[in-house]
Amino acid sequence: MSEAATETGVPDVGANNLLDARERARLAARRRRGAVFRWLTLVPVLLAIALITTLFADIAIGSISWQVIEANNSGQDFAWSEGFRPLGTWQRVVGLELVAQGMSEADIDAFFGDSETVRKFRARNRVELMWSVNGRPLRWLVTSSRDDGVDDLGLFEGWRQRSELLASLEADQLLVLNPWFDVAFLGKNASRTPVMSGLMSALLGSLWVIVLVIVISLPIGVGTAIYLEEYAPDNTVTRFLELNLRNLAGVPSIVYGILGLAVFVRLMNLGPVILAAAMTLSLLILPVVVIASREAIRAVPDSLRQASYGLGATRWQTIGRVVLPNAVGGIVTGIILSVARAIGETAPLLLVGAAAFVPRLPESPLSPYTVIPIQIFSWISENDVEFPHVASAGILVLLVVLLVLYSVAFYVRRRFERTW
Amino acid sequence: MTGSERQRIRAAGLARGAGRNRRETWIGVALFVCASISVLTTVAVIAVLASETVAFFGDPAVTFREFFTSREWTPLFAESQRHFGIAPLVSGTLMVTFIALVVGLPLGLGSAIFLSEFAGSGTRRRIVPVLEVLAGIPTVVLGYFALLFVTPLLQPLIPGLRLFNPLSAGIVMGFMILPTVSSISIDSMQAVPRSLREAAYGLGATKFEVVTKVVVPAALSGIMASFILAMSRAIGETMIVTLAAGQRPNLTFDLRETIATMTSFIVQAATGDQPAGSLASRSLFAVGAALFTMTLILNVISQQVVRRFGEKYE
Repeated sequence: MSEAATETGVPDVGANNLLDARERARLAARRRRGAVFRWLTLVPVLLAIALITTLFADIAIGSISWQVIEANNSGQDFAWSEGFRPLGTWQRVVGLELVAQGMSEADIDAFFGDSETVRKFRARNRVELMWSVNGRPLRWLVTSSRDDGVDDLGLFEGWRQRSELLASLEADQLLVLNPWFDVAFLGKNASRTPVMSGLMSALLGSLWVIVLVIVISLPIGVGTAIYLEEYAPDNTVTRFLELNLRNLAGVPSIVYGILGLAVFVRLMNLGPVILAAAMTLSLLILPVVVIASREAIRAVPDSLRQASYGLGATRWQTIGRVVLPNAVGGIVTGIILSVARAIGETAPLLLVGAAAFVPRLPESPLSPYTVIPIQIFSWISENDVEFPHVASAGILVLLVVLLVLYSVAFYVRRRFERTW
Repeated sequence: MTGSERQRIRAAGLARGAGRNRRETWIGVALFVCASISVLTTVAVIAVLASETVAFFGDPAVTFREFFTSREWTPLFAESQRHFGIAPLVSGTLMVTFIALVVGLPLGLGSAIFLSEFAGSGTRRRIVPVLEVLAGIPTVVLGYFALLFVTPLLQPLIPGLRLFNPLSAGIVMGFMILPTVSSISIDSMQAVPRSLREAAYGLGATKFEVVTKVVVPAALSGIMASFILAMSRAIGETMIVTLAAGQRPNLTFDLRETIATMTSFIVQAATGDQPAGSLASRSLFAVGAALFTMTLILNVISQQVVRRFGEKYE
């Protein structure tokens, strides 16, 4: 009797043993169903975590590949530390290469003095960071450029075939492990050749766009939030404003692209420039900025406002010196999260004319531009076995940028967190 | 202090007060202008879409009848081969959305139930941000993953699966909408008052029965709203379908075929350098108008669901 009670957790009334047994079996079945259900609901959580892990792993693995390269130049490689200087990296490596080819100091000085010679050398040769399989890891390599006939293998596939590949190497060939995401990747401009491609113009483009987005959306967004929280009377106009903001938040981002294309690019005749992109993205993130700022402003307790009014301050003085300083944490967090979204946006910028290939670095808000996600999109779309590796490297950069932004947002929220 | 001095000081104070009042008024006006920019945005979106769509249908080559009944969508082709039936784009969009919902809704609701009802608050605080990562990953990255990881993974399992197909795009999109479903559902399940649960326990219900017969039904309005919002997200999503589902309008319901969606057509038309005012360019706006209308209706429905059927406790 007492055993049954502990087993089912139901107080044992001990009236009818037969009924009790049947009831107990039913209760056990109900319990079992509950346990199964509990485990079933855990599955989606695990699946989601597995997908995130797989995604990151796939991108990291995709950014490294085994390659058989022609080294019919001198094919010299140099230990990483020798060539690595924050500035002038490739000059240093090229200098070492020229020494290895038997040039004297004077010849080398003359070589670097003549920009045309340098240009020709760079057009014909590549200087890049690689894991040299034969020598010590991570080395600079100077090879003659190669546009076709490169064997390119994924990380695992290449590892499996490593011994065969090494055995089948011809005299002037090298097997290298190419990390596509390296220091040089950030410094190189876009190119039609995978190994020459870099993220420089896209990085600068993203930076320009983001700075302008903040400049445009911060005052408008915070202004709207202040109006709705502190000024707006409770009337139809205000309710319409709120309804409108809620609906704007649900408009697909590509529709903002259509708006930007029609209004900024065509009607205002800006053309496909940074300013048009920044204005489009500002409108896109505006609802989120407003909603976040409103929450932050609303969290400031009314007693602070009343105290300020009691001292004779006007409404604006109260907002500027009491409300905003106390809401700054929430506002900044909201802005950072919105900016993180804007950095990853691709679709609207395809419409307002971010170019896949920008030969010159952007110089002003009226320059043609590309941004990191657009560059990634165009690399994925390229029909070439090597470009997916470049895309992976670009994605790594984008994810690192986002990670930094999210961490900063997290820190700001912690730092300014207040309970009243 | 003489009387005249006192007067001067009072006058200066009054002038300052008047200046302050003027400034206050101007600031109020400036803030209202900020607030009205969002309304201007809506007006501009509707004006742009409407005017270009009217121009699109005003073209003698296009008829309403063809738009809704033709089975082909080829506005970027040469003049003699052009057809303007939106059906293939809508079928493509619906197919991808359907797969995304089949994947995303059960996963989202399941994880919401686990996190809200079975996991402790500590676990919830740790896991929810991890799920939010899925919504924070740029969609171009998810498109890359669908095209270069999921499709090659599925190809040996599903014979006849094209390189570009709605299946892998839809699966990845399902994971993208998972946090939308789960976070709203968690919020509405957390809002179900303790007294309801306690009452059910008091009647002898097991945890499972409390969750499925009390908490989920009580939170149903929020859960439905999250489903509709997720659907609207899936319809409007662009980069995953552009990269992984293809750009060939195709009236089919075969999950292995290359298709185009409304959003991927917009990208295709916009990146192809169609001159402004051409019929091809206007077709982009017409599709955009259809997309905008669909997502707007869904968003409004989702808000109405919350307002109408949302139970207010306390």
